[in-house]
Amino acid sequence: MIGGRRPLQGRKPADRRVRVERPHAPYFRYVGPGQMVAKAAAHEPKTTVGRSWARIRKAAIGRPLASEEEAGERLTKKKALAIFSSDAISSSAYATQEIIRVLAVAGATALAFSVGVSVAIAVLLAVVAVSYRQVCRAYPGGGGAYAVARENLNPLLGLVAAAALLIDYVMTVAVSTASAIAQIVSVEPDVEKWTVEVAVVVITLMTIANLRGLRESGNIFAIPTYLFVGLALLMVGIGLSSILTGHAQPLATPNAEAFPPGTGLSIFLLLKAFAGGSVALTGVEAIANGVPAFKPPEAKNAANTMGAMAILLGVLFIGVTIVAHAYQIQPTVNDVPTTVSLVAGTAFGSGSVLFVLFQASTALILFLAANTSYNAFPRLGAILAQDGYMPRQFSYRGDRLAYSWGIVLLSAVAAFLIWLFGGKVTALIPLYSVGVFVCFTLSQIGMVIHWRKVRDSGWQWRLGLNAFGAVLTAVVLVVVVSVKFVDGAYLVVILIPTLVGIMLFIHRQYDASRRELSVRHDLVFETPHREERAVVPIPGVNRAVIQAVNVARSVADDVRAVFITENPADGVEIRERWERQVPGVPLVVVESPYRALTGPLTAYLDVLDAAWPPDKDAPITFVVLPEYVARRWWERILYNQSVKRLRSALLGRPHTVVVNVPYRRDDPGLFEQGDRRASGQEPPPNP
Amino acid sequence: MPSELSAPPVFRRAVVALSGHPNGQRLIRLVAELAKPYKAELIGVHVVEIDWSMPLDMDLAGRSDEIQQVLDVAEGTAEAAGVQLESVLLQARDVGAALVDEAVEREADLLVVGLAYRTKFGGDFAIGKTIPYILKNAPCAVWVVREPIPEETS
Repeated sequence: MIGGRRPLQGRKPADRRVRVERPHAPYFRYVGPGQMVAKAAAHEPKTTVGRSWARIRKAAIGRPLASEEEAGERLTKKKALAIFSSDAISSSAYATQEIIRVLAVAGATALAFSVGVSVAIAVLLAVVAVSYRQVCRAYPGGGGAYAVARENLNPLLGLVAAAALLIDYVMTVAVSTASAIAQIVSVEPDVEKWTVEVAVVVITLMTIANLRGLRESGNIFAIPTYLFVGLALLMVGIGLSSILTGHAQPLATPNAEAFPPGTGLSIFLLLKAFAGGSVALTGVEAIANGVPAFKPPEAKNAANTMGAMAILLGVLFIGVTIVAHAYQIQPTVNDVPTTVSLVAGTAFGSGSVLFVLFQASTALILFLAANTSYNAFPRLGAILAQDGYMPRQFSYRGDRLAYSWGIVLLSAVAAFLIWLFGGKVTALIPLYSVGVFVCFTLSQIGMVIHWRKVRDSGWQWRLGLNAFGAVLTAVVLVVVVSVKFVDGAYLVVILIPTLVGIMLFIHRQYDASRRELSVRHDLVFETPHREERAVVPIPGVNRAVIQAVNVARSVADDVRAVFITENPADGVEIRERWERQVPGVPLVVVESPYRALTGPLTAYLDVLDAAWPPDKDAPITFVVLPEYVARRWWERILYNQSVKRLRSALLGRPHTVVVNVPYRRDDPGLFEQGDRRASGQEPPPNP
Repeated sequence: MPSELSAPPVFRRAVVALSGHPNGQRLIRLVAELAKPYKAELIGVHVVEIDWSMPLDMDLAGRSDEIQQVLDVAEGTAEAAGVQLESVLLQARDVGAALVDEAVEREADLLVVGLAYRTKFGGDFAIGKTIPYILKNAPCAVWVVREPIPEETS
């Protein structure tokens, strides 16, 4: 970088000094010899459109963050709990309802088993949470079930886990958004006709919030999450104290469903209730996928957050179920009112301020459940992209250090699903928990193998715990699939292999291109000794053409111009002008009676190749294309169409380099020298 | 009076001499901390001394990555401390005269120079000729910030 130098006079005649300009300083910073770091100014767009787009992006998602600011974007445990746990914690709002709806088929007495079923699910939750705490510590790079299965089982099973998780995260956004809108519709029925529009607006807002980066989305989503948690804990506390003091009396459930006659309680029904209530576990794995998002020590903080989330979810879930059982709350027609709202009514009193606040926070947290996916899906996508199973763009972080491609893809697919099903995603719910249990099972089996391999202190009990968890989650998986298969779980059988197939295809493509492009480490590359020649296709004689010829002369000694025309008279005229104005560069006129341009040029290049002596290495042929730079968008339609055709025809040609020489009206550039000489402005060179 | 003496001095614009010595970063951090509350302007100046046998305007400093790095590192250190530092690269026959002239031209009210500690030969501050020149000729306040003696840091 050569700086300009400006002499300055000092106070004394001998004290002259020279100020050296530093043209790199606004854009780069030297950090070592030959090593620079780009500053923010280097990233700023130069065009008007680019600058306008940057301003819009800045207004919507904030100023771009440098990679070194990443540490500041990391999450504290409190914010991480709000971001990663909203899905899991929100399920305490409907998991009890799922259990009692199934048990009610066997009559009122069967509802007594709801507490037992919820305790069994809480045990499963504890096992899964302890297991994932271990995953956080063993795989601090994130990736959860995918990382565990890929490393300990095999890459294919890792992809199965990844595919199942990706499907599940998309479903979480679609289902939770739609169900939150359903909550609004139950209060304000007029909203129903705008379901899709409202859902798209909500998804768009969530996309923008997440594109603003982790810390800001944590700030945005923490308040409603903690409001729900606080009110729900208060509700459970009041309910339990009422039970202990003997104030809990059976409640006449409004809009209650009639118990069907004659169906007895069976093991299958209990298992079905267990499978229904297991939706409480969806979202538990999200923390293990996002360990790198935590402040250091990442693994420890993630494991502790996982523990806190499991305890909160377990307490709320069992608490709501116990209170619902004590008040003998029954399932309602179309789930209106919901079980949790009936429990809230017993604690806070229907219509009270706290009751309304709790209902509002429940609707909010159902919206925010989708946010867990916005943090887990892009991270998993990034890990898959780094491993070559998804397009590389998914591993690039955007202006705010968020994985923008993953966020946008998740929003697009979820919005498409909502549009496709008109906002009624009940048909998709059966798929919902299948993917999660596929992952739970694979990660637990993977961890069993992990402990056998590493044999850390206490590996035996860890292995035992994971083995127990694997059996438990596998049983639940079988139950969930068998119970929900006809309702739609069969789609998983189609979707997971399809996604795995796509990921394997992408991986094969990347693998093949990597092999083709790889360079052996022991090779040293000297300057090549191949001959060069340049061919300049010309449309006539103009400044852009002369500039292209000048460039061609600077890269090769053997330069020739090719003029392809359908009119022989044009050829004669151009030749006369060419030989007079551009001496030293032979012109080949090719008459094209069929009016083609690309064909005759490539044929001419073939002829040149064929005429090359066979005992010599083929030369590098530079095809230098003069190009007129359009200054306005509509000019792009008017110019360079032939150049585009030639470029695309020549790109795959062996031993050929296509060089575009742009001519800018406001920057005569390479043309200048010849121009001056011709007009007599420049003095003749010294003899 | 005692409180006035103990309070950090206020300045509006300071020229900081950058020699490329590792002590320079400490110097920048110190000045940046003091400049921050008053939003004072900092100008980092690195002077490349050109021998009389060579032309003063020879293309030397602009080409050297190492010389550019002295100013860029100072800029980065100031930025990390939350202060902007304008960097100036000079070629001159005499470092002291160039620094004083730059301070005069910029109307600086403070000139800060570092004084390195040499551990060789029993350890000493080699004050050289630049600092005495600056102390004698600078039309503003001059701070000489010495490098900590190894015993102090240990």
